[in-house]
Amino acid sequence: MNILSDIYTALPEFFVLCMAMLILIVDLFLDDTQRYLTYALTQLTLLGAAVMTAVAHSNAVGYAFSGLFVDDAMAHTLKLMIYLSTSVVLVYSRTYIALRGMFRGEFFVLILFAMLGMMVMVSGQNFLTLYMGLELLSLCLYSLVALDRENARATEAAMKYFVLGALASGMLLYGMSMLYGMTGSLDLTQVSAAIMGGELNHPVLILGLVFVVAGLAFKLGAVPFQMWLPDVYHGAPTAVTLFIGSVTKLAAFAFVMRLLIQGLQILAHDWQGMLIIMAVLSIIIGNVAAIAQTNLKRMLAYSTISHVGFLLFGFFSGTMNGFVSSMFYIVAYVLMTLGGFGIILLLSREGFEAEELDDLRGLNVRSPWYAFIMLLLMFSMAGVPPTVGFYAKFAVMQAALQAGHVGLVVFAVLMAVVGAFYYLRIVKLMYFDEPLDAAPIQPPLDMALLLSANGLAVLAFGLLPERLMGVCATAILHSIQ
Amino acid sequence: MTLLLSFSEIVFYFLAAVLLYAGLRVITTRNPVQAALFLVLAFFTAAGIWMLLQAEFLAITLVLVYVGAVMVLFLFVVMMLDINLDRLREGFWDYFPLAGFVGVLMAIEMVMVLGTRHFGADWVIEPAPHAADYSNTAELGHLLYTDYVLPFELAAVILLVAIIAAIALTMRRRKNSKYTDPAQQVKVKRDDRLRIVKMQADVEQSVGIDGES
Amino acid sequence: MLENYFPILLFIFVGLAIGVLPIALGRIVAPSRPDNEKNSPYECGFEAFEDARMKFDVRYYLVAILFILFDLEIAFLFPWAVVLKDIGMFGYLSMMLFLGILVVGFIYEWMKGALEWE
Repeated sequence: MNILSDIYTALPEFFVLCMAMLILIVDLFLDDTQRYLTYALTQLTLLGAAVMTAVAHSNAVGYAFSGLFVDDAMAHTLKLMIYLSTSVVLVYSRTYIALRGMFRGEFFVLILFAMLGMMVMVSGQNFLTLYMGLELLSLCLYSLVALDRENARATEAAMKYFVLGALASGMLLYGMSMLYGMTGSLDLTQVSAAIMGGELNHPVLILGLVFVVAGLAFKLGAVPFQMWLPDVYHGAPTAVTLFIGSVTKLAAFAFVMRLLIQGLQILAHDWQGMLIIMAVLSIIIGNVAAIAQTNLKRMLAYSTISHVGFLLFGFFSGTMNGFVSSMFYIVAYVLMTLGGFGIILLLSREGFEAEELDDLRGLNVRSPWYAFIMLLLMFSMAGVPPTVGFYAKFAVMQAALQAGHVGLVVFAVLMAVVGAFYYLRIVKLMYFDEPLDAAPIQPPLDMALLLSANGLAVLAFGLLPERLMGVCATAILHSIQ
Repeated sequence: MTLLLSFSEIVFYFLAAVLLYAGLRVITTRNPVQAALFLVLAFFTAAGIWMLLQAEFLAITLVLVYVGAVMVLFLFVVMMLDINLDRLREGFWDYFPLAGFVGVLMAIEMVMVLGTRHFGADWVIEPAPHAADYSNTAELGHLLYTDYVLPFELAAVILLVAIIAAIALTMRRRKNSKYTDPAQQVKVKRDDRLRIVKMQADVEQSVGIDGES
Repeated sequence: MLENYFPILLFIFVGLAIGVLPIALGRIVAPSRPDNEKNSPYECGFEAFEDARMKFDVRYYLVAILFILFDLEIAFLFPWAVVLKDIGMFGYLSMMLFLGILVVGFIYEWMKGALEWE
């Protein structure tokens, strides 16, 4: 075993680990006025990791650590997106957490460790690696939600998140151990080969599969495993909600790709049915329940549930085209979520959370530019052309159509129209109502620039989706055989 | 099949019976501390059963980590919280019919799915017995620190995150603590505490000593 | 295979005997004539003020959880110690990295003052 080549293959992970530990120790010696150093070091870590991943980028597939770790185009692409969106999360939330006493070393270190967990998930090639990555991520997220200790609602959200998350991890592990018991291997390719070649006890495999899919659905937030999502989105400090809602979905996408597509595609016939049911239910419940919400964070949580439903459309079509459109969908979703929660953070100030729908009233009067950004984001979430959200929905629907699910596609389009209602309600509030709140909106320069770029990117990728689609296609085609 | 059980079967049934009894007592006993102690007994007998399965490392870990450490935490928590079990049990019998129905239904479903048709002993090849000097711990060690070094290091990272999270979430300084740091006490100079004031030798007044803390 | 565990069984029995015998002997041999006054809790001649069982300080929790984390670490050291000769430099270094990561955690908790009892 060549340790140096292993470390070289996993250099970004190694770098992030070392830097996170360094930041943990350095932060102990800083007082509150020097805390910006911790922030700068964290951003530097993201930049360094991005450079390493970009330099190592190729379309070849490399393995390390006895095949437990894979280094392919999908891993590279998703990792770069993870760094970028984490960096954006940090910029958006800096002022917010500083005003709420969360601008502490622990916040940044936990974010970095959560990111390390995601990187491991993205590169996981073995049940064990995938599971460890997931646990590392989840553990960081639970504590991030509870980090604001004086906030009772956040503590309650963390409690629910932890209990349900632990249950989901248990299910996932149970399913994995059943699959291991049947196939005798933890390695995804060997599991796949064993199922293909052997005369295995099919019902036991299916039982394992059911547990795995249930665990995945829990983590994704697909109905009927969605109960934690609105409470956690609502209860967590908005900066943490932003992180959970956006970046982690990239890792969740990779997790599903690795487990269901790379490992268990031979059982596709069996999991397709489960995914279809979950997709349909998610779209119904997400869109209908979102209409009844008065809290913006809760509304976005239900919107996430319906987006997960659309995402599953790409998966169950079971074609390369479907996976590529799913990846496109998740990237578009992350872009929109970052912007959406970014606006909530923008409007929040000391002692005031702009999380009710009413807080958006008359935003156009207060700041026409940010109202326009929010308009773009809401149009994109609703799937109105020419935004990226439209194109993403269009791509997954097309993939599902090609796989012959005509009825489901018609249904999903109808539900998307229902969903458009609550997004457009926000537009109405912003443009046609009087403001209740006259506080000026003065974001720091970097946040103002990024948020503007974020909003415009939604439009730009909608007008010119080929480039992003090309990136997704290259990533998937060179990674999934 | 012979009527007489082999010795290891006797041991198994004995341990299994104790385990079941302990498990039942955990959920039926009224005193939470006793429940925790029954859980210790359950862990202990489960470790015995794993020993019978020749998984001695797991058995040792169960005793070391669960009996030795996790249960200590459990007992701490039980003693920390003022649990009023009678209040917790309020309404137990009101919910019992529904809960019992659901429980029985789930048990039937599990028997139907997990019955001997697919999960019976026939499906699993009996592993070959190992020699007396075979060490399960050594086999584990051979793999864990070489082939599985990545998950192993990740375990360390997860433990590190647990340390950070535990401290970030639960540590708080007391405002009215009477604690003083011994190092600071030792470092104190005379000038920090004592001020000698030159005064006219008045008969009525005494020397003023001014303490700062 | 079970005969290998005979010494352990013996050990358990001897341990049980040492624990149980004195209590049992005391019960059997000692005279026991309890009455109401003898059985009541004694508190300097007063009636008992409060329950003898009192709640623990929450700070025990942090100490206990840190203890568990390092206890888990020890569980990883066992198989390592058994096979250290066979796994060579690589295995040695992998454990050193493992311990290194946890030492960072230890430095953190020390510097944070989590181990101090005010």
